[in-house]
Amino acid sequence: MRPEKGDLTEPRQQQGTELSEAEAIERAKLGDAEAFRALYDKHKRRVYSLCLRMTANTAEAEDLAQEAFLQLYRKIATFRGESAFSTWLHRLSVNVVLMHLRKKSLPVVSLEETTQGTEEDSPRKDFGAEDVALAGSVDRMQLQRAVDSLPPGYRTIFVLHDIEGYEHNEIAKIAGCSIGNSKSQLHKARMKLRDLLKMERAEKAGKSRAG
Amino acid sequence: MNCVELQQSLAEVEDGSSVEQRAHLRACTACTALVKELDLIIAAAGELQAAEEPSPRVWNSIEIALRREGLIRPQRVERLLVPSFATRWGAARWLVPAAAMLLLAVGIYMRRESQPNQLTQQASVATPVANASGLNDDELMQEVVDNAPAMKPQYEENLWRVNESIREAQGLVDDSPNDEEARRSLMDAYHQKSMLFEMAMDRSLP
Repeated sequence: MRPEKGDLTEPRQQQGTELSEAEAIERAKLGDAEAFRALYDKHKRRVYSLCLRMTANTAEAEDLAQEAFLQLYRKIATFRGESAFSTWLHRLSVNVVLMHLRKKSLPVVSLEETTQGTEEDSPRKDFGAEDVALAGSVDRMQLQRAVDSLPPGYRTIFVLHDIEGYEHNEIAKIAGCSIGNSKSQLHKARMKLRDLLKMERAEKAGKSRAG
Repeated sequence: MNCVELQQSLAEVEDGSSVEQRAHLRACTACTALVKELDLIIAAAGELQAAEEPSPRVWNSIEIALRREGLIRPQRVERLLVPSFATRWGAARWLVPAAAMLLLAVGIYMRRESQPNQLTQQASVATPVANASGLNDDELMQEVVDNAPAMKPQYEENLWRVNESIREAQGLVDDSPNDEEARRSLMDAYHQKSMLFEMAMDRSLP
């Protein structure tokens, strides 16, 4: 099931002494260190995971998560609660990452148009014919590695849509591409992931046979 | 629709539910397997959300930056005295100068208390005057009821607590007029009460 992009909260138990998010936001507006920390603790995993998935680099992801939270705290006085706080933070985090990718001259989305797939991306007639099936389930760690090895453009769209739950029209606005391009990139990303996962399974199967 | 067309069409209709797609999938096991595998990937992708924990370095760096930029400020009030106002309270902006007047009055009072041979002076703090214009706790609560009725219970409790603090501190000062710590406690209690007004004003700012 696709996750809701609006819900960034950590799966934490609410305790009597724990600040509610609304309280933490109000106190953070007054410069309360404890409130800043509470908001960080509540959202750090989601923000950091987003940064890590989109960059595939731990050090960069930590720097970007730090930057996202700092921007959040600098702007928190302007938060009026019209939208969910988590949605606001999430969009801000995505923007921080995309800005970083653009500075590095990495493509936010692949430059190719939807109708101009490369030979590698073009539909194949032999798919699924002789390779290993992804029967049952996909291992999280395997998928993580496969996502990390996607080309940056594909990775961005896959992370935003399938992991973070954005719709194509939202991705088009955020990433500056057409809706059709977003759909096309996502499909190609999934196909690429499928290939990568199958390759890994085939390698494992080969090793176990050899061993 | 053939296999290539099916694969291309999945970009638009990803679950293979269109009439043409279903017709092809009924007859093609390879494409059926493809759709199932893509579904597996989509389902597993959700597990990658919030899957990673950042190192402690991240928060440490954030906190250092917050302090350097002055975004973390020393807290001026006890937590129990901070009401979480959800609504604006613009009509009571005049309470800011009232709080300032209260502080001034307390300062004058404490100065008198510290003078030798004037230690017998007693001050009533059970129902302290909140400002020079004569606002008392009842009138303050009436303002709360008029402008932010939902906040009444919380504000009532906070007011009660701060008045209790003032009463206790005043008792200590009465018992030991030269006790520096007791006088400081009384000052702090009055300060907290004035800050209670100020916090409400903070929430009313646009």
